[in-house]
Amino acid sequence: MLSRLVFLSANSLRSSGLIGAGLVQASRSLQTSSQRLAPVPPLPDHGGKVRHGLIPEELFEFLYPKTGVTGPYMLGTGLIVYLLSKELYVINHETIYAICIGTIIVYGVKKYGATVAAFIDSINEEKVAKAQAAKDSHISFLTEAIENEKKEQWRVEGRGMLFDAKRNNVAMLLETNYRERQHMVTNEVKRRLDYQIALQHLNRRLQQEHMINWVEKNVISSITPQQEKESIAKCIADLKVLAKTTQAKAAA
Amino acid sequence: MSGRRAALKAIDWLAFAERVPSNQRVMFNALKTRTDAISAKLASLPETPPAIDWSYYRSAVAKAGLVDEFEKKFKALQIPEPVDTQTSKINAQEVEANKSALDFVEKSKVRVVEYEKELEKFKNMIPFDQMTIEDLNEAFPETKLDKVKYPYWPHKPIASL
Repeated sequence: MLSRLVFLSANSLRSSGLIGAGLVQASRSLQTSSQRLAPVPPLPDHGGKVRHGLIPEELFEFLYPKTGVTGPYMLGTGLIVYLLSKELYVINHETIYAICIGTIIVYGVKKYGATVAAFIDSINEEKVAKAQAAKDSHISFLTEAIENEKKEQWRVEGRGMLFDAKRNNVAMLLETNYRERQHMVTNEVKRRLDYQIALQHLNRRLQQEHMINWVEKNVISSITPQQEKESIAKCIADLKVLAKTTQAKAAA
Repeated sequence: MSGRRAALKAIDWLAFAERVPSNQRVMFNALKTRTDAISAKLASLPETPPAIDWSYYRSAVAKAGLVDEFEKKFKALQIPEPVDTQTSKINAQEVEANKSALDFVEKSKVRVVEYEKELEKFKNMIPFDQMTIEDLNEAFPETKLDKVKYPYWPHKPIASL
């Protein structure tokens, strides 16, 4: 009953953690079998309807077929009048207190009930939202992790390529080495042959020069002083003849 | 001689590069530059050296028989193939790598199974606003309050609030 009092006019009060759990635990305790049963169905959004904050609608529904709309009111009025007249409920100073405090409570709940309910709801919402966010991030983390693992497995498949590359390198190096050796051999043989040829040319040249020098030397040494005088006289005579001819030419 | 000119396997460097994880990229780049240098060097050398013109030399060199001797020796010369010491090591490395790779894949698969199991559990959980405290404790055992060790509210050490 007290739980319904709280539901009152603040219809926005949804199943808050404390009270909701209490209600649900109450209904859960009825599931007494030891097996795990299906999850408890979600709580209804609004509590049972009440009239005047106290009396559940079911009473009015129950009495409607027999006594119509005014039935429960007549019942209530009759009960109150009976209690007062028979002094089963005595009116004393506590009645006044009850009336005053009741008025204040009703006024307070009517005025501020909605906002307080919303605030409490928001606290609970925050908790649930945090939990939900944690759950979502964990799910996304797991999916990512699975993705990454699959990717790593794919990467590992390419390991053969590394070794192919290495073997290729080795083969290329060997081939290069072999070619270099061939080239070296050819070049060396060529160099030696060229050397021989160059040597021959050098020899030839030296021989020629030597011979020329020797011939010149001999010729010069064979010119005796006698011959030299004769050749000088001949040269002078020739020059005289030449001079005469040129004089004649110039005169003519 | 057999074994010469072992066919070079064509390597798709792009696909290779895709599979390299980011923490090994430096090594991959080093390998690539090395390979490029080696293949450039190989390409720069012609396959056979230019032939020696023996007839010219025979006519040019005066010494009798020198050219013939050279020619004979040259033709008879067998250049030894360079010995391949590394391929066996590489093959051994490959075998090892295969083993460790299979190992890794096995472990990875186990991890994937674990992750998937957890993912299933999370996906099939009832939504929070339909949970009770007992359901919460079932789904996340760490939220269960130890009422035996801490019998008084809040059932956990004050410092961990």
